Amino acid sequence: MENKKPDTTINVGDYLVVQRQGYTKLHKLKNHGNLILGSFTVEMDNIIGEKYFDTFQMKNMPGSRRFYILEKVDEVNTATGSLNIEQSGADNRNIPNNAESQGLTKEDIDKLKGEELSSNNIVEQLINNSKTFSMKTEYSQEKYIKKKEKKYFEYIQIRRPSIRLLSQMFYRQDPTKTMGIRIDDLSQILTYANIHPEGNHLLYDSGTSGLMPAAIMNAIGSNTTGSLIHMHPGNECQKNAFVAMQFPQEQSDRCVNVNLYSVLRCFYQSKETFSFKNDSLEKPSDIATKTSETEGSESENRVMETSAVSEDTAEPSAKKPRIEENSQKRQWQLDNEKACRILKNKVDCLIITAKEHPVNIVKELLQFLSGGRSFVVFSLLKEPLQDLYFYLKSRVDIIYIRLSTNFMRNYQVLPDRTHPEVNMNTGGYILTGFKLAY
Amino acid sequence: MSFDGYKNVIKEGDTVILYLTITQVYCIKAEPKTVNKKGNFIENVFQTPYGALKCADLIGKHYGSKITLSKGWGYVLQPTPELWTITLPHRTQIIYTPDISMIILQLELCPGSIVIESGTGSGSLSHALIRAVKPHGHLYTFDFHEIRAETARDEFEDHGLTSYVTVNNKDVCESGFGDDLNNKADAVFLDLPHPWLVIPHTIKSIKDTGGRLCSFSPCIEQVQKSCLMLLKLGFQEIQTVEVLQTQYAVQQRSLPLLNLEFLKNEKDGSECEKKERETFKTITSIPPASLPGHTGYLTFATLPPIWARNLQISLNQNDINNVE
Repeated sequence: MENKKPDTTINVGDYLVVQRQGYTKLHKLKNHGNLILGSFTVEMDNIIGEKYFDTFQMKNMPGSRRFYILEKVDEVNTATGSLNIEQSGADNRNIPNNAESQGLTKEDIDKLKGEELSSNNIVEQLINNSKTFSMKTEYSQEKYIKKKEKKYFEYIQIRRPSIRLLSQMFYRQDPTKTMGIRIDDLSQILTYANIHPEGNHLLYDSGTSGLMPAAIMNAIGSNTTGSLIHMHPGNECQKNAFVAMQFPQEQSDRCVNVNLYSVLRCFYQSKETFSFKNDSLEKPSDIATKTSETEGSESENRVMETSAVSEDTAEPSAKKPRIEENSQKRQWQLDNEKACRILKNKVDCLIITAKEHPVNIVKELLQFLSGGRSFVVFSLLKEPLQDLYFYLKSRVDIIYIRLSTNFMRNYQVLPDRTHPEVNMNTGGYILTGFKLAY
Repeated sequence: MSFDGYKNVIKEGDTVILYLTITQVYCIKAEPKTVNKKGNFIENVFQTPYGALKCADLIGKHYGSKITLSKGWGYVLQPTPELWTITLPHRTQIIYTPDISMIILQLELCPGSIVIESGTGSGSLSHALIRAVKPHGHLYTFDFHEIRAETARDEFEDHGLTSYVTVNNKDVCESGFGDDLNNKADAVFLDLPHPWLVIPHTIKSIKDTGGRLCSFSPCIEQVQKSCLMLLKLGFQEIQTVEVLQTQYAVQQRSLPLLNLEFLKNEKDGSECEKKERETFKTITSIPPASLPGHTGYLTFATLPPIWARNLQISLNQNDINNVE
């Protein structure tokens, strides 16, 4: 009950993070499914029924040069551990700078790979055929081995997705996948928004592969009462990261995905359809939990019925036919109405991660934020947030407006060789503030 | 009692954040009386640069409302862990929000998680940890300083957080976190002078199904020793990172534009005419003249579940052999 990771077994249908050295990839496990990992095509069947954190060796499939199967291993032979290096140089004064130091050709290496994928063996061959390896310093030799081993590493580990793993994975693959939101940006958006498991939260996200709604729902937690209205600009919201988190049904039900335009149209133009519920009878958060208690389609039907009934009472003349093929369309309307009921009672935090200029969005959505609560706006560019700063300053109900950015760097920690990592990147800008109660 | 969940109205005994300007933010207690240095009960009055504030007057006011002072005004806010971090009474060095945020995300905390913290210090991180794991999670926090542990305990009670936190007065370097916590924790946070002495104890406390660890150290030598220990014990994904935040002052600046064109022509008297000086207006963000360049290194690592630990230990052994 206390831990949200109940099952340690890898099952068909699970979303998993496949980790090979520093590389990670998200994968949905299917029966007889393949995973493409760089230049390797790997058949995944052998991990079904094994445990998360288990390590598997990629083995050449007999008779095929491209396909690999997985075999669970209890020990790993790595080149860094098993190679015996007899000779090293003191410095690099005798090492020529040319491409002739490696005796093996690409074809030779491909042949080795095709026979048996063994980083151990390949690295050994590379060393034996290198004219300069023995002249390299000890440190340089180690670096060489690590670099080559990475390329031919034949072991993978299976992990359960987490916000940390997903955030790092998306950012490494392509920062635009998460709108440039780096892990430190994400972490601060979440803390400055002051997300409590029992509040109602509002997010406008124009495309972070589902990372923002996933991270907020993760912070709201399972078996709590909090909810999230996730506004997005398109027909369908991006939800890669959200589905990868595999939240329990009751938890993902408390995230209401609505289109920004259509939910606002509903809010302004169809007040009677969503405001049928007496506020004193039922709070929006109660509705969210109630619908999630009853399972699956049954709960959907019940919600539809209640809303249909109340629509009848509100607008007896405009009786809409309830037929099967309409149910698809009805769901988004129900979601809009559910969101509007929460918005009417105001939300406890507002988060905006927008590709668009933020001023108009903030102008519109701030009305739904309760007084005394905070909001966070992320942008990859500083200038739009500067405009927003002046807009907010011109309002009299916003205080404590702060604009900040982060410097983040990783370190290589090794005895005598500790230094910041050679590559670093730049994050985005975060604007935070508090709305006053008037 | 004002830290648990969202509140609308100030009740007697609440801790309240008083916002005057961006650099003048204070925490006060909405109580009519307070104890002075001599131990006597006196009226609770908070002196601000804009006049005195009778704290009893705050009771019943809405969070987020304007408070009139004799020479100006201020605003009252409900405390959040972030506001608490910048206003709390310092008993030790504290960890600030950029690091706290990273710690919470990287420790993979969510409601229901069990987390261990050592040391408690001034409780800056503790408040954020509690928000992350409540309502059904728990924070076990340790400090070897008796008074500090006592003060922290009182503070959590005062803030209405007692049911989410257990404060222990103990030196975890010697004997770890106690058998009560064996196989219980999802995550461990260490802010200690000798973290490498405590890392071996964390193995017992972290669940058999694995967990995350973070060590905060200001010095790189501490990081090196900790990383070596983490390798030896079979931790994986060992990563050291630092995060520094820059807060900008957004300003509109006007720059005078110089007209140098007239120099190309001979004097004809018109240059003496008073012309309006041209200016260029721009909006810009200015970082502070001086800002923290270092807080501490954050080292994160994953302890794999028991079924994967031996393999990881043998994998790490290779790296250790290379080191030695």
